[in-house]
Amino acid sequence: MGEALALLQDLSLEEPRLIEWDWIAENFWEDIVPAIQGHIYLSFVSVAIALAISLPVGILAARYRKIYPPVTFVTGILYSIPSLALFSILISVPGIVIGATPVIIALVAYSLLILIRNVVAGIDSVPAETIDAARGMGLTQGQILFRVELPLALPVIVAGIRIATVTIIGIATIGAYISGGGLGKLIFDGINRNFPTMVITGAVLATALAILADLLLLGLERYLRPWARRRRA
Amino acid sequence: MGSILEVLGRPGFSQLLLTHVELSALALIIAILIAVPVAIAVRNTPIGATLAINVGNIGRAVPSLALLALALPFFGFGFTSALLALAALAIPPILINASTGLREVDPGVIDAARGMGLSESQVLSRIQLPIAAPVIFAGIRTSAVQVVASATLATFIGGGGLGDLIVEGFQRGDTAILLAGALSVAVLSIITELGFGGIERALTPKGLRIAQK
Amino acid sequence: MIEFKDVSKTYPGSDRPVVNDLSFEVPEGEICVLVGPSGCGKTTTMRMVNRLIEPSGGEILIDGEPNTAMSGTQLRRKIGYAIQQIGLFPHRTIAENIATVPSLLGWDKQRITARADELLELVGLEPNDYRDRYPAELSGGQQQRVGVARAMAADPPIMLMDEPFGAVDPITRERLQDEFLSIQQNIKKTIVFVTHDIDEAIKMGDKIAILKQGGFLAQYDTPENILANPDSEFVASFVGTDRILKRLSLVRVGDMELEPANGNAADLPRISGNLTVRDALSELIGSGHSEAVVENDGKKGLLTIEAIEALTRSGEAPRG
Repeated sequence: MGEALALLQDLSLEEPRLIEWDWIAENFWEDIVPAIQGHIYLSFVSVAIALAISLPVGILAARYRKIYPPVTFVTGILYSIPSLALFSILISVPGIVIGATPVIIALVAYSLLILIRNVVAGIDSVPAETIDAARGMGLTQGQILFRVELPLALPVIVAGIRIATVTIIGIATIGAYISGGGLGKLIFDGINRNFPTMVITGAVLATALAILADLLLLGLERYLRPWARRRRA
Repeated sequence: MGSILEVLGRPGFSQLLLTHVELSALALIIAILIAVPVAIAVRNTPIGATLAINVGNIGRAVPSLALLALALPFFGFGFTSALLALAALAIPPILINASTGLREVDPGVIDAARGMGLSESQVLSRIQLPIAAPVIFAGIRTSAVQVVASATLATFIGGGGLGDLIVEGFQRGDTAILLAGALSVAVLSIITELGFGGIERALTPKGLRIAQK
Repeated sequence: MIEFKDVSKTYPGSDRPVVNDLSFEVPEGEICVLVGPSGCGKTTTMRMVNRLIEPSGGEILIDGEPNTAMSGTQLRRKIGYAIQQIGLFPHRTIAENIATVPSLLGWDKQRITARADELLELVGLEPNDYRDRYPAELSGGQQQRVGVARAMAADPPIMLMDEPFGAVDPITRERLQDEFLSIQQNIKKTIVFVTHDIDEAIKMGDKIAILKQGGFLAQYDTPENILANPDSEFVASFVGTDRILKRLSLVRVGDMELEPANGNAADLPRISGNLTVRDALSELIGSGHSEAVVENDGKKGLLTIEAIEALTRSGEAPRG
């Protein structure tokens, strides 16, 4: 009887170990990799869609300044709504079910502000003399846009893409709460099952992914700015 | 709509709101008390300042949920755990802005101040900090908005706050509760943004506002 | 009175000194200009007077006492400091900027306000217009004037000025130089003035210290003597191959000793006695005549090329 009690006590007081490497090894392909893949998928698709919207809108806003303030206002409001709140509002809309879709919609909405702002800033940063010279050489508006303005605006635009990507990777973790998939799934499941290993794995991988994207895009940004590069040399 | 208001009228709501504000405010204060002195300490060393800015930049990339989740195995559930994670989250924007702001003060102004006989602490308190104040405060503002938003996630590690309402709405399938939570957080967030924006404008010394024009 | 005794400065990690065994004296009430090519250590030398930089060797005496007798901060409150970038505090009004050192010294408000207004007038800025403005609202020339006013605020006996008129266009600079010289006539401060421009040095300096790269003193003398008798090849080329003409700009043609103009001077060109000899020479050459009449206080003198040549030969040490 005493032995049985002692055994029961042992079992009930057993705290899960912080990182159980065996679990990681066992479930690597089953749980961890799909989570990573799902996360990259969510992030990539969202950045792509956001960029597809922001580029034309940004170019228009740079050209026709009057639309810039209202655009900033709307995207600003979207940006200040906390992610969980935005997810909730989205899935309350009839027709939108939980899953990847509302997550992607929200992620796109969040990154519009920063992307549009940087597209405009990038185009603004092209010196007027350069555009003047291009016009003087006989380039059309369209040619100026694609051959002069956008290439010169590229570093600033990439800076915006970098911030948007990091933000998206971060918020995508929360998307798992509404079944969006991704590394957040490991975190939420881990919390529910009181299994720290899953929580830590998800958290560390999400952080690593975000930092990796940040550094890669920072490298790209520096590469596109040869004058900044040379100064450091 | 009516049912949303009902939810807001519930006795528990104000407690959730209070907790949310407490978490955010305390996290912000802790972050300021750590980030600003560090930035001041490294203000005159280029290496230190660059390091601070780089650490801040990397810190900014860390997902909020990940940070909160990491607090769990080490500090458990609850308010304190969430507070620590949120404070860590709030540090980077303030650190980056405070370091940059102090470094960007015109070196000619600092040389003139020293040359005229201001002591180091006088140069800091009368010249560097007032001139850097708008930039530092912009960092605090960015951080504040971020913290209020992230405090929503504190619910997942038992920290309380308005996120509780959203989660409750989810689990019960009750749209009214869900939206009540979502909208109150959104409104709180916007109020924070506007409020701090106003304070930022008020804190910019007149001479610098003119220079900015 | 400022005395440099074997002052040197070498930065740690470097084996070559920036300032090398400088010894000279700045007499009280005079402007001593430190001039030389970049890398000659002139700014470093100036900054050692108020200990923004501490010497590695030697000492600097102010009125006989080493400048280390008190703390750096206290020392600087007694020395006026005006730099090229000006460094006006952007977040303070013009009046507050000028009031900086007096407030540090604990003057009472009334005295400070009165002094600020007095200085604004002195530098040619109407107090009512300027005292409550902010630096960003002022032009470069106006800011530079405020910079000088601010340096003079506590009425320090010594001033350090590092290219204080450097940030403006040449026309404004000339005006600022003239105005400052006329102020100095009245206040007679002991001033260490740094510039890279030999013409400014000649114009502003009662004494000039020409520094070579590596922080060596090449020559220390009055402008006239340096122009008349450059010590070395370096000094001769630094002051410029037109040094003879530069000398001529130091003298008023009306102060020359000239033969009185006689009868047949009727068709000769007239030159005002207020012109410098250099400008008079220029007029003479341009007139196509070899002589001109100088009108000075009603007296008429005859200016000839020979007279000018004689002037250049006086004071010049025989070559050999």
